[in-house]
Amino acid sequence: MKNYPIWKSFTVISLVLLGIIFAIPSIIYDENSENWFLKNKINLGLDLQGGSYLLLEVQLDVLYKEELDNFVDSIRLISRDEAVKIEKIDIQENEVLVFFANKDKIKDIRDNFFQMYRGVSLQISNNRLSIKLNDEYKKIIQDSAIKQSLEIVRKRIDESGTKEPLIQRSGKKRILLQLPGVKDPERIKDLLGKTAKLTFHIVDNENTSALQNNLAPFGKIIVPDIYDENTKYLLDKRAVVGGENLVDAKGSFDQTEGHAVSFRFDTEGAQKFGKVTTNNIGKNLAVVLDGVVITAPRISSAITGGSGIITGNFNAQEASDLAVLLRAGALPAPLEIVEERSVGAGLGADSIAAGQIAAIIGMVLVCIFMILIYGTFGALANVSLIVNLFIIISLLGTIGATLTLPGIAGIVLTIGMAVDANVLIFERIKEESLKQTKVFQIVKNGFDRAMSTILDANITTLIAAVLLFAFGSGPIRGFSITLSLGVIASMFTALMLTNFLVYMYLSFANKKELKL
Amino acid sequence: MFGLNKIIPVEPNINFLGLRRNFLIFSILAIFSSISLLSIKGLNLGIDFKGGTLIEVNTKNTSIGELREILSSSYSDVSLQEFGNENIILIRLQNKSNQESIETVNSVKNLIQDKVVEFRRSEFVGPTISSELLFRGFQAVSFALIAILIYIWLRFEWQFGFGAVVALTHDVLFTLGLLSILNVEFSLATIAAILTIAGYSINDTVVIFDRVRENLRKYKKLDLVDLFNLSVNNTLSRTIMTSLTTLLALVSLFIFGGEVIRPFALTMIIGVVIGTYSSVFIAVPTLLIFKFRPQDEDD
Repeated sequence: MKNYPIWKSFTVISLVLLGIIFAIPSIIYDENSENWFLKNKINLGLDLQGGSYLLLEVQLDVLYKEELDNFVDSIRLISRDEAVKIEKIDIQENEVLVFFANKDKIKDIRDNFFQMYRGVSLQISNNRLSIKLNDEYKKIIQDSAIKQSLEIVRKRIDESGTKEPLIQRSGKKRILLQLPGVKDPERIKDLLGKTAKLTFHIVDNENTSALQNNLAPFGKIIVPDIYDENTKYLLDKRAVVGGENLVDAKGSFDQTEGHAVSFRFDTEGAQKFGKVTTNNIGKNLAVVLDGVVITAPRISSAITGGSGIITGNFNAQEASDLAVLLRAGALPAPLEIVEERSVGAGLGADSIAAGQIAAIIGMVLVCIFMILIYGTFGALANVSLIVNLFIIISLLGTIGATLTLPGIAGIVLTIGMAVDANVLIFERIKEESLKQTKVFQIVKNGFDRAMSTILDANITTLIAAVLLFAFGSGPIRGFSITLSLGVIASMFTALMLTNFLVYMYLSFANKKELKL
Repeated sequence: MFGLNKIIPVEPNINFLGLRRNFLIFSILAIFSSISLLSIKGLNLGIDFKGGTLIEVNTKNTSIGELREILSSSYSDVSLQEFGNENIILIRLQNKSNQESIETVNSVKNLIQDKVVEFRRSEFVGPTISSELLFRGFQAVSFALIAILIYIWLRFEWQFGFGAVVALTHDVLFTLGLLSILNVEFSLATIAAILTIAGYSINDTVVIFDRVRENLRKYKKLDLVDLFNLSVNNTLSRTIMTSLTTLLALVSLFIFGGEVIRPFALTMIIGVVIGTYSSVFIAVPTLLIFKFRPQDEDD
C-alpha cells in the first residue's frame, strides 16, 4: 500500500468496527435485557412505542385570587381588633382596596397587616388602604406552587402504576409528563384533573335564612352537594381538619354503605378530630372535596380513634382513585391540560415498520444509482453509506438519544444526503484525472480539494439542525439529532473510510490509470 | 492571452447565465404569487399551530359518512378524513378552551365506541400552546437564516452571504407558496422540513460558491459571466447527483414511510427541487451585482 500510514488504517478500521459493534444492541433490540452491553440500545420515543405526552399548566390565577381572599379575611380581623369600621372592600385583579370609615388607625392596621404578609405592596391614600400583589410576591407563590404540584403529580402518577414516567418542570408554570405505554390517558387525566383538597367542616343548620338568600355571613361558606347542585350546605369556613393530616387512605367496602374510602389521621389530626367530634355531638360534619360536599353525616358519638370512612355513591374504581388522590395530597392549584399527544402501540409499530421499509428501499435505490454512475467507486461509496448507517444507530444507542418518527425521517434523508461528500470527492477525482496521470496523486488531490467544500457544506446543514434542536420540541428534536449525527458520520465515512477503501482498491487492483 | 479551451478544464459547457433573465422573471413571478397566496389563502395550519383536537381511529363496518353523521349532531365544527386507507379515519375538532378538550375526547370516544377497533392516537393542542409553537417556529427559521448568513460571511466574502440568503429566502417563500396551493398540512414537522431545506439549499449553494471563489483566484482575466458559467458547469454533475440521491431517499420516504410522515416528505421533495434550482439560477446570478474584479487585481 503506497503512501497510506498504518496508524490511519488502524484508526479507520477500529472506528468502523466500533460503529458496527455498538449498533448491535439496537438492531437486536431486546426490550428487557439486563446485559450491560445490550442496554446500549436506542430509546424509542412515545410516537413509536406508544404512550402519552401531557403538558399541564398550574392555574396560578386561582392562587392569586385565593391570596387576595386571604388578605380580605386578615384585614377584617385586624380592623375588628382595632375597632375600625370598614365601609367597602373592592377586590380587583391584583389588588384589594379597603375603604375605612375613618383614617385614624389606618397606619396601625397597615403595620399589623405587614407583619403577616411581608413583601406585599401597601399604600395609604386618605381613608383607603391598597394591598397589592406585586410581581415578587407572585413569583414566590408561583415557585412554591410549581414545586408542590410537581411532587403531588409525581406521587399520583407513581400510585397509578405507570412504569418509567418522566415528570419535569417546563418553563415558568408548566409540568411536562411523558408516560410510555399508557393506553388509557383518560384515567391519568382524571387523576390529575382533580385538586383533591379535602377538608372537614361543621355544618350550620340553624341559620336557615343565609341559605335562602344564598349569602354567607362572615366566617361561613355555602357549598353545594356533589350529586345535586341545588342542595346547599352552610358550613363554618374554618376547616376542622384537612387532608394534610391524613396518613393513609384506602378503598374499602362497607356492607351497608357500599364502596367507601377509609382513612387514618396523624396524631395532630386525630386530636383535632376527636376534640371537634366530642364538642359537636348531634351536629353534622361535612366532608368537602374540591369545593363540593361529598357527604355530611351526623356526629352520633365522639370519634377519638383518628380513623373513619368516607361514603358516597362510589364504584370500586372511584373509591380507589379517591384514595390515591388523598394519599398523594392536594394540589396547591388546579392543573389544566394545555397539550396532549397520545399514540397507541398499534400506530407506533406501524410507523416503525413503515420507516424501516422506507429506509431500506431508499438505501437500495441510492446504492444502485451510485454503482450505475461511478462503478467500482460507487460500490466503495456504498460500503461507506452502510457503515454510516451503523454509526448513526450506534451513536443514537450509546448517547441514549430518543428515536422518534421524524427521527426516522432524518435517517432516511441522511441516506440520500450522506453520499454527497463521496460525490464531491469523486467529481474532484474526475477533474484531476484529466489534468494528470499519476493514479495516487489524482486521488490525493481529489480528496484534498474536496475537503474544504465538504466542511463548508456540512457545517451549514449542522447550523440548521442545531437551531432546530434549540427551538424544536419532542419529536422534532429527534429529527435534528439524527440529522446532525448523520451529517457528522457522513463526513467521517467519506473523508476517512472512502479514502481508505479507494487507496486499498487502487493498491490491490494495481491500477495504472484512473477512469471514472 | 489564454485560449478559452485551455482555461476551461472540464466539460460540460452550458450557458446557464445566458438564461438568467428568464429565470429571474420566473422566480420573481413565483415569489410574488407565493406571497399573494400566503396572504389571501394562507397555509393549511394543522392543530400544532391552530389548536384543537385530533383523533385517529381504526374503524370496522362503518363509513366515513356514518361517523360524520354521528359526530356532527354533537359538534358543529368537526371534520373527518380518510387517512391512508378507508378504515382509518382522522377526526378533527376545534375547541374553544382547554377544559373543553378533555370532555371532547371522552365524549367523541363514547359516541363512536362501537364502530372503532382501535384508537390510534389523540392529540390536543391548547390555544396558548399553538401560538407559542408558531412563534418558536418562526424564530427557528429566522435565526437559522441569520446564522447561515453569518457563517457564509465569515467563510467567504460578504457578497456571497448576500447571494446565499437571497436564494434561501426565495426557497422558503416558494416552498410555502406551493404548500399553500397543494393544501399540504402545515405542522411542526413542516417547520423541520423547511429548516432542512434551508440547510440543503445552502449546502448546494456553498459548493458552487466554493468553486466560484477558487476560479476567481485561478482565472484572473476571465469575464465574470464566463467564470460563473464555468463554476456552475464544474459542479454540475455533483449538483445533479446529490439532488437525485436525496430525492430517491425522499421519494422512498414519501411512498413507504407511512401517512403521518407524508406531508414532511412532500415538503422536502418540493424544497430540494427548488433549492437545487435556486443555487444555479438565483444564487450565482446574484453575484453579478457585485464587482469582484477590482479587489482581485489589487492583490
